[in-house]
Amino acid sequence: MEEIKKAIIEYAETSKKTKFYFKDMEKAVQSKVPGAKSRDIKKAASELVNEGTLIYFSTGSTTMYGLKGRGITEDK
Amino acid sequence: MFEPKRPQKKLKYEELRIYTEEELKNYTEEELKNFKIKHAIPDLEELEKGPWPSFVADAKREALHRRKLADDRVMIPKDVVEDLLGQLQLSFDDGETHWKHGGIVGVFGYGGGVIGRYSDVPEKFPGVAHFHTIRVNQPASKFYKTDFLRALCDLWEYRGSGIFNLHGSTGDIILLGTVTDQLEPIFYDLTHELDQDLGGSGSNLRTPSCCVGKARCEWACYDTQELCYELTMHYQDELHRPAFPYKFKFKFDGCPNGCVASIARADMSVIGTWRDDIRIDQDAVAAYISGEILPNGGAHRGRDWGKFDIQKEVIDLCPTQCMSLENGKLKINNRECTRCMHCINVMPRALRPGTDTGASVLFGAKAPILEGAQMSVLTVPFMKMEPPYDNLKELIEKVFEWWMEEGKNRERLGELIQRQGLWRFLEVIGVPAFPQTVKMPRSNPYIYWKEEDVPGGWDRDIEDYRSRHKR
Repeated sequence: MEEIKKAIIEYAETSKKTKFYFKDMEKAVQSKVPGAKSRDIKKAASELVNEGTLIYFSTGSTTMYGLKGRGITEDK
Repeated sequence: MFEPKRPQKKLKYEELRIYTEEELKNYTEEELKNFKIKHAIPDLEELEKGPWPSFVADAKREALHRRKLADDRVMIPKDVVEDLLGQLQLSFDDGETHWKHGGIVGVFGYGGGVIGRYSDVPEKFPGVAHFHTIRVNQPASKFYKTDFLRALCDLWEYRGSGIFNLHGSTGDIILLGTVTDQLEPIFYDLTHELDQDLGGSGSNLRTPSCCVGKARCEWACYDTQELCYELTMHYQDELHRPAFPYKFKFKFDGCPNGCVASIARADMSVIGTWRDDIRIDQDAVAAYISGEILPNGGAHRGRDWGKFDIQKEVIDLCPTQCMSLENGKLKINNRECTRCMHCINVMPRALRPGTDTGASVLFGAKAPILEGAQMSVLTVPFMKMEPPYDNLKELIEKVFEWWMEEGKNRERLGELIQRQGLWRFLEVIGVPAFPQTVKMPRSNPYIYWKEEDVPGGWDRDIEDYRSRHKR
């Protein structure tokens, strides 16, 4: 789990776009941690959200993830 | 018998109310007639003139009501409704919207339930600078106590705009318009005080919804409310923490009349059906024929449509022509019945669904964002629907797994089925193909050949072939 969390944060810090889809995050994590299951990635992402490291970003119709403090951070 | 999955809170409605009767009825009809909001809204006022109830008239009532409340009795700008109407008038003038949506709004730990909305002209309309939407998970079949609705209205008047939809397309109660600072207090009040959860939005399982079901309808072939509740509770994580490629909707219709229109709207539609024979009461059939009982439960009695003609109004309209009248007795060839419900709807006292009931499960409906609208495709013709619904959950999980693995970002299940083919979908969920999945045998045959099933595979030696077949 810690390994997956690390991979998520690494991706969230370096991704080209500051807000990304779950699937893109999933692919990036699986390239770092081969065999990581999407359910575990989701659990790790949820934990990171609860810890305040990751944020959900809503486009209005779909949901994306982002790193807190990177890109748009205020509700503007 | 309903058994809650968690202890039910006893709500103390008298403590949940915020406003007094005087505050709620704080204006007269005379005042309303002379009331002008702070913006000129000529086009909106035009909308009030039609024959139908107008949202503009309702919004004006709310605007006046809010204006007359004391300043400390509302937590967001008092003129929010006036600014809302003002901005709408501006959108009419400009021919374009002035809303921006999305962003980092939400409540802690939830990835859905709140949809951020902002004005792009906040200096003109500060009351709607933030105007976020909150989706509230409606109770199964939308049964409420008036006490609950009053408490909810009070909460929303106090912490929001006072405007809401009962209900949005997905079924939720839609609270329209509040500011970011109020989101957490509203979430707390809803969940801790009113014992009510948020619904789904974004790339989540959306709030499941069901028809009125066995609570009031004799045609319900399974307990839609129980199944809706069971799956809502079972898939809480999917509802609140997004990890799907896009939205996913469950809808539960108790019979093929489809009162929640699951076949047109839900990625997974569960539609009640039966696999034995339609029950016939021949005495009641005779009573319909003689005119003793009104057809359609008397729904069309407002006008004289002439004497009921069973041949013309029922038998000739059967889509599979599986009915006939022999010596005054109604006969049904049940093998041919497609469960269209027409005969049962017309003669409810004479005909009833069978007793070996369950549901058909269909997949892939969606609205026309990409590729045009699609109806669900019949995938499992019959499945028993009984607690704990493990058979359905097993099916759902196979579908979720495939879609999460193969679906592209923002691709609905129906689009994935279209892209990869129905045969692939059937293979994934382990359901054999059957003739009803065929629309046109040449373009979507239900016999799906695979390379390993064909002697020699897909490759062939063209020279060898040509040696026997001249060009």
